[in-house]
Amino acid sequence: MVKNNVTVVAEQLQGDLQQITPELLGAARELAQKLGTGVSCFLLGHNVAPMAQRIIAMGADIVYLVDDLALKEYTTLPYRRAVLTILKSMADPPPIILMGSTTIGRDLAPRVAASLEVGLTADCTELDIGDYEHKGKADPHKVGTFNNILYAIRPSFGESLKARILGPWKNPQMATTRIGVMQPLPLDNSRTGRIIAVPVTFDTADFRLKVVETVRDVSKAVDITAAKVIVSGGFGVGGVDGFAVVRDLVSIFNEGVVGASRRAVDSGWIPYAHQVGQTGKTVRPELYIALGISGAIQHRVGMNNSKIIIAVNKDADAPIFKFAHYGIVGDLFQVVPVLKRELTKLAKAKSL
Amino acid sequence: MLKVVVFIKQVPDTSSKAGVNPDGTIDRARAKRMLNNFDRYALQKAIEIKRSVGAEVTCVTMGPPPAIEVLVEGLEHGADYGILLTDKRLAASDTLATAYALHKVVGYIGQVDIILTGLQTTDGDTAQVGPQIAERLDLPQISYCESLTITGKTAKARRVVEGGFQNVETAMPLLITVANSATPLGHKRFIEVAQVKEMLRTPEERARRIKSVSLDDVGADAARTGLVGSPTVVGKTWKLGEVGGSCKVFEGEAVETEVARLLESLAADSRNIAEMLHG
Ligand SMILES: Cc1cc2nc3c(=O)[nH]c(=O)nc-3n(C[C@H](O)[C@H](O)[C@H](O)COP(=O)(O)OP(=O)(O)OC[C@H]3O[C@@H](n4cnc5c(N)ncnc54)[C@H](O)[C@@H]3O)c2cc1C
Ligand SMILES: Nc1ncnc2c1ncn2[C@@H]1O[C@H](COP(=O)(O)O)[C@@H](O)[C@H]1O
Repeated sequence: MVKNNVTVVAEQLQGDLQQITPELLGAARELAQKLGTGVSCFLLGHNVAPMAQRIIAMGADIVYLVDDLALKEYTTLPYRRAVLTILKSMADPPPIILMGSTTIGRDLAPRVAASLEVGLTADCTELDIGDYEHKGKADPHKVGTFNNILYAIRPSFGESLKARILGPWKNPQMATTRIGVMQPLPLDNSRTGRIIAVPVTFDTADFRLKVVETVRDVSKAVDITAAKVIVSGGFGVGGVDGFAVVRDLVSIFNEGVVGASRRAVDSGWIPYAHQVGQTGKTVRPELYIALGISGAIQHRVGMNNSKIIIAVNKDADAPIFKFAHYGIVGDLFQVVPVLKRELTKLAKAKSL
Repeated sequence: MLKVVVFIKQVPDTSSKAGVNPDGTIDRARAKRMLNNFDRYALQKAIEIKRSVGAEVTCVTMGPPPAIEVLVEGLEHGADYGILLTDKRLAASDTLATAYALHKVVGYIGQVDIILTGLQTTDGDTAQVGPQIAERLDLPQISYCESLTITGKTAKARRVVEGGFQNVETAMPLLITVANSATPLGHKRFIEVAQVKEMLRTPEERARRIKSVSLDDVGADAARTGLVGSPTVVGKTWKLGEVGGSCKVFEGEAVETEVARLLESLAADSRNIAEMLHG
């Protein structure tokens, strides 16, 4: 029997594949390897057919394509219809469907899951395949041993725990993944795959909501998830003015951006778009410098995959020194100017 | 008059020391309880609608009996009625089972024009329950809603999308999940707390304003809720391990010396920071 593929729902905006798509494909490929299946991808939009080949280069074996004017802009109900139609065209449901934990994914995935009456795990930071034995006495109809099922792993909220969520009773097992967490594969243009166009019949009820306009201000939008270097400020920077010190340090780096802890954001010192952590963004830059951040678990889960973590904090017992790679115990207002000066010297030496 | 339902949840207060174990796990029995902060934005939107075009606002919560506290809070903010769905068989409901149970409460209330939910909860943290209620009720939804204008039976809204926003329009009935970037929370309550206390003093009035209902009352199939009705289970939990391991900490010396030693140490570990600097 041909096994069905691990499946990803691609995200594109006005013809641009979104960063989450290669991440999802990378994660799906890993799961597919463990299951001995391939990877499928749903590509929905208008005039998006040219993207199919790119998606194959990113790791898909089959692209299910719905190219329809009705899908020009993302709206919930037509996209929901398209996903459900593709699924219905398959003999068996895929074992796993992954979507992004983006404004689109979090809008669409729960509707699809509720329609199919399957489980959905939000905001996963790790995915794996494994076995599970359910022994519950309270729900005897679920008892059994299940092999090669999806382990959807996420931090349990507000707690320093990770939880493994399982839903082996019915396929597809669904999960959304956080932006910036899953690893894309290197682009391989020699990969080949199949493209299957799926016709979709929409219902007039699918068009109950109209988009009047969409405004994207890419110039103003900070994208901390793509940055190579992040200098983050916490409550220790003391105020809006303190962030000038953070900006000053970030200014000497190529491709550097300012990050922040939730306490700094909640204090109104810097916009939410800069927040790193469980309720902010997950980042994995080459270099993460934390200034005046204590290192609470909810901050840590958003940045602990950074290649190099340097912390400056005046409290030697701050938890951040337990997981940073390098630390200076001291007042950031004294340390940062010296650090900047010495790094600038290094930069000069480099350019000689 | 418009009928508005707003879903609010009682969650453990993780910012308080009470009930939060040293390892960060929560002892729900001892933890302080609070109204999910995200739901305050939904509640505020409901009251805004009531003030601008007139509406009857019912807040609904599902949880153990103490959850009735958030309904009183809802009334203090200006809601008219509160419904608590409470039933032992609801324990361990995942989002699908929760949404199933909650959509039955909407059916119990009757014809509803606007349903509001918070964006997400601070304990479940999934942002799934709102859209899943909409799916069950076959309603259009506006998620991540920041601002809302009601004209007749039409809702115009601005919602957040990656790197911008979107203006959308739809006819009622509909479901809205309210973004936490919506109007900042006002501190002024619609009616005085004392007034609500007064209002709820008589048992008759309290019973008229706040109802407690069971699965049977709302006509829900218990097999589709709780542990048995949830397609997912929590398999295993474990503590987040320490990462990085040994942090090289420089302290107790002049700042200049500490910085110099940090840079030496980075170089010795072949951590090439200079490459990341402007030339
Ligand atoms: C459900 C939930 C979700 C959360 N999500 C997030 C999230 O996404 N992101 C996030 O960051 N947090 C999140 N938090 C909050 C988190 O628990 C912490 O409260 C927060 O990260 C603390 O921010 P901070 O380190 O800036 O502040 P604090 O903990 O107050 O730490 C400030 C630090 O600055 C140091 N300091 C002060 N002055 C100086 C100085 N002059 N020089 C050097 N050091 C100085 C202090 O020693 C201290 O260690 C969440 C919490 C909960 C309950
Ligand atoms: N037990 C509950 N009672 C009432 N409303 C809830 C409950 N659980 C979730 N909600 C609503 O659904 C939203 C999203 O919750 P969640 O999917 O858990 O993140 C919340 O902000 C509430 O408005």
